Amino acid sequence: MTITPQLLFGQLLVGLINGSFYAMMSLGVAVIFGLLRIGNFVHGAQYMLGAFGAWFLLQLPTLFPGLGLPSLGYWWALAIVPLAVGAIGALTERFFIRKVYDLEHAYGLLLTIGLTMVLEGIFNARFGAAGMQYEVPALLKGGVNLGFMFLPVYRLWVIVAALVVCFGTWFLIERTKLGSYLRAATENPDIVRSFGINVPRLLMLTYGFGVGLAGLAGVMAAPIYQVSPQMGQNMVIVVFAVVVIGGMGSILGAVVSGLALGVIEGLTKVFYPQAASTAIFLIMAVVLIWRPAGLFGKDTAVHSGAEVVTARSESILENGRLWFVVLAAIGAAVPFFVYPVFAMKVLCLALFASAYNLIFGYVGLLAFGHAAFYGASAYVAAYAAAQWGLPPELSILSGIAVATALGALFGWLAIRRQGLYFAMITMALAQIVYFYILQAPWTHGEDGIQGVPRGKLFGLIDLNDTMAMYFFVLVVFLAGFAFVYRVVHSPFGQVLKSIRENEPRAISLGYSADRFKLIAFTLSAMLAGLAGGTNAIVFQIASLADVHFSTSADVLLMTLVGGVGTLLGPVVGAVIVATLQKELAFLGGWVLVIQGAIFILFVLFVRKGVVGAIEDFLSRRAVRRRNAEASAASPARAAKPGT
Amino acid sequence: MGGEGEDYIVEATGLSKQFMGFLAVQNVDLRVRRNSIHALIGPNGAGKTTTFNLLTKFLAPTTGTIRFNGEDITALEPAQVARKGMVRSFQISAVFPRMTVADNVRIALQRKLGTAYHFWRSARSLRVLDQRVEELLAAVGLSDDRDRHASELPYGRKRALELATTLALEPEMLLLDEPTSGLGHEDVDRMAELIGSVARQRTVLMVEHNLSVVARLADTITVLARGQVLCEGDYATVSEDPRVIDAYIGGVDA
Ligand SMILES: Nc1ncnc2c1ncn2[C@@H]1O[C@H](COP(=O)(O)OP(=O)(O)OP(=O)(O)O)[C@@H](O)[C@H]1O
Ligand SMILES: [Mg+2]
Repeated sequence: MTITPQLLFGQLLVGLINGSFYAMMSLGVAVIFGLLRIGNFVHGAQYMLGAFGAWFLLQLPTLFPGLGLPSLGYWWALAIVPLAVGAIGALTERFFIRKVYDLEHAYGLLLTIGLTMVLEGIFNARFGAAGMQYEVPALLKGGVNLGFMFLPVYRLWVIVAALVVCFGTWFLIERTKLGSYLRAATENPDIVRSFGINVPRLLMLTYGFGVGLAGLAGVMAAPIYQVSPQMGQNMVIVVFAVVVIGGMGSILGAVVSGLALGVIEGLTKVFYPQAASTAIFLIMAVVLIWRPAGLFGKDTAVHSGAEVVTARSESILENGRLWFVVLAAIGAAVPFFVYPVFAMKVLCLALFASAYNLIFGYVGLLAFGHAAFYGASAYVAAYAAAQWGLPPELSILSGIAVATALGALFGWLAIRRQGLYFAMITMALAQIVYFYILQAPWTHGEDGIQGVPRGKLFGLIDLNDTMAMYFFVLVVFLAGFAFVYRVVHSPFGQVLKSIRENEPRAISLGYSADRFKLIAFTLSAMLAGLAGGTNAIVFQIASLADVHFSTSADVLLMTLVGGVGTLLGPVVGAVIVATLQKELAFLGGWVLVIQGAIFILFVLFVRKGVVGAIEDFLSRRAVRRRNAEASAASPARAAKPGT
Repeated sequence: MGGEGEDYIVEATGLSKQFMGFLAVQNVDLRVRRNSIHALIGPNGAGKTTTFNLLTKFLAPTTGTIRFNGEDITALEPAQVARKGMVRSFQISAVFPRMTVADNVRIALQRKLGTAYHFWRSARSLRVLDQRVEELLAAVGLSDDRDRHASELPYGRKRALELATTLALEPEMLLLDEPTSGLGHEDVDRMAELIGSVARQRTVLMVEHNLSVVARLADTITVLARGQVLCEGDYATVSEDPRVIDAYIGGVDA
């Protein structure tokens, strides 16, 4: 390929444009994280809202015929939409985000993921996935001929406007009185409150401001990119990666890294186009090795794991042997009552969720890229079976091998950071796998690997027989279930538990906490690989959906709904979510909205999940019974409550 | 090295720690004699806990070197330092709250079995430790609480449990950060007695605000103020040093 100046400067310009958007978006994410400690995953959807807002204003007469509304153009949109989106943001803070400030960071992220699903789901169901065009405003049409290239005026405007906005925000927060209140409010709300400042309102306005920035970016993006419900999806993950690279504590860091990374991404398109969509994620991996705190970051404090664990180990619900037998019995009976193909789907998902629970529930690490292990294994198993003609057991083993290796690598990178960062890093690393599989020749892009033969298990059992296939999957599931139980209740599991309970103390006893976490993460990836590989053989296909971000969100949803950190939670959650998806399929795109709403409901009201709630009920009853027995045994004491 | 024929288990030289421009510990030299009880005292914010964090590598020193048993441990990870035999406690009681009292101690004992990474083995394999668990719990008077969750214990008992957990590792050297703070009168006495008996075969470095405990236990006292060593010596020497009295009064004012 020859690199002409036109190509070089053209891509540089595209890079600068993208970088301007990354900078504006990262700025909002950094402000919201820095001041509210919320990982605002819904930022991408709020950006989409901004673009749609601009489009709505233009379409007012068509959308509301008969009201005689005028069509409002770009400049109106630029003024109105950021305010409107910011106001929606402020309301979101008031009714949702505020409820999770005092909880683990994980819940803030989960909540905003639920909100994202609802928002994107609504727009998707209402307007479809196809993008809409938005005209460049008349004033900014045309371009300047620089001699070596043609510079469209609109793009120049975007770059300049973004720089002004970013600098203004930085100035506001770092150099003004209001900014110093804001910073103080997050560090020590009580003191600021004693100055007579309404802290909740301050935080609400801050969130609204950050979201307004996303809305503004959306309006500015409308004439450049397609206006579509998904436009924020990959954007937000890129922005998270940018923030990890820049160092989360730093506003300037977010802006500078956003711009620089946009340019680097543009240059990658010139010199090595295959890597363009993953360049930022790869840079993030390098930065993590070299400077774990990020380029501008200073926050290296050690946090312990997420406080999300619910199980009481002596509960009957945690009795692995009992439930292994019960599940085996139910599993053996199910195909005679339920459509076996659906049952196999549920078993694969339940195994996947159990694998995920190992890291999220039992180690307390909010991993957010398990689709990478599940999907990579699915593709490798499918390829091994279809192209190399390997028998199913060896195909699945090949998949597991790749998932395990990826797990070890990603874990090694991600464990350098804790809490929310861990989630963002695993998310970004999983995108590398997604884009790789999207582009690699052997995976057949959008089509996936189809027509995978089920083959003969150990050369003997023909898996094309549905019952044989079903019982194979059942055995795989039970083995995985037993494995998770064994890991949790092993000497290793005991140390993991102590690390989750009090990491510094476990370290002071001589346990290298990170190594234990890494092993647990790798085991979790391995089991996710088992689930993905098996799924590919059962359904005879490996598709992009398997590696897509939404699969990581699904498994998280299942674990959350069932009960994080409980033995049965992932299984129950898989049954519930899969059943809902099947029964509500007639709703089409609205299923996503319902899933998002369930996410939100569980984060706000049923954090312990279904199994956790049952467990709570049982343990309360046990306590009541014990008290009753105690008072029956010593009536004299019961009669005198004072003693 | 070992000075004039003295046997030092820990020798830290030129230790400093800077937090974003603020020097919490400056150029501290600290030598702890083997099998002695060494107290580190000083007003609030003097840098005592920071010194502990540096010695056990929970914080990386900005400058300085640390030797333990003659070996340079400045570059080690905190867990490695613990495995060398220098084990610390924390200023705020550090137990594993949702594990039983017995499990708290067992988790420490477990390390010596060498099966900490064995994820394929049943946790029942840890029952061989039960007898040792009982002994340790008896030593600190927690036998009756063995099956309770650590979080249910009153504060004084949590500190006792913490000590039992630390002792389970049979460390050559213990670093105790304010082991008697927050305890009632009797508990303070009990704890002081425990520490005294423990120290017969090991070295103890302790941060302690209760000066009667210090007077009773410590062989050597180092006084720290504003991150620097003010003076060092036995109780009589230190308590008469006018700089020490100054530092404490200054510390109260601040
Ligand atoms: N991680 C940290 N970041 C910034 N400053 C710190 C940090 N840890 C300690 N400091 C500061 O260093 C100084 C020394 O703290 P340190 O905890 O070592 O004191 P101390 O002697 O243990 O006091 P106390 O008797 O109150 O426990 C204090 O001013 C403290 O605010
Ligand atoms: Mg202290």
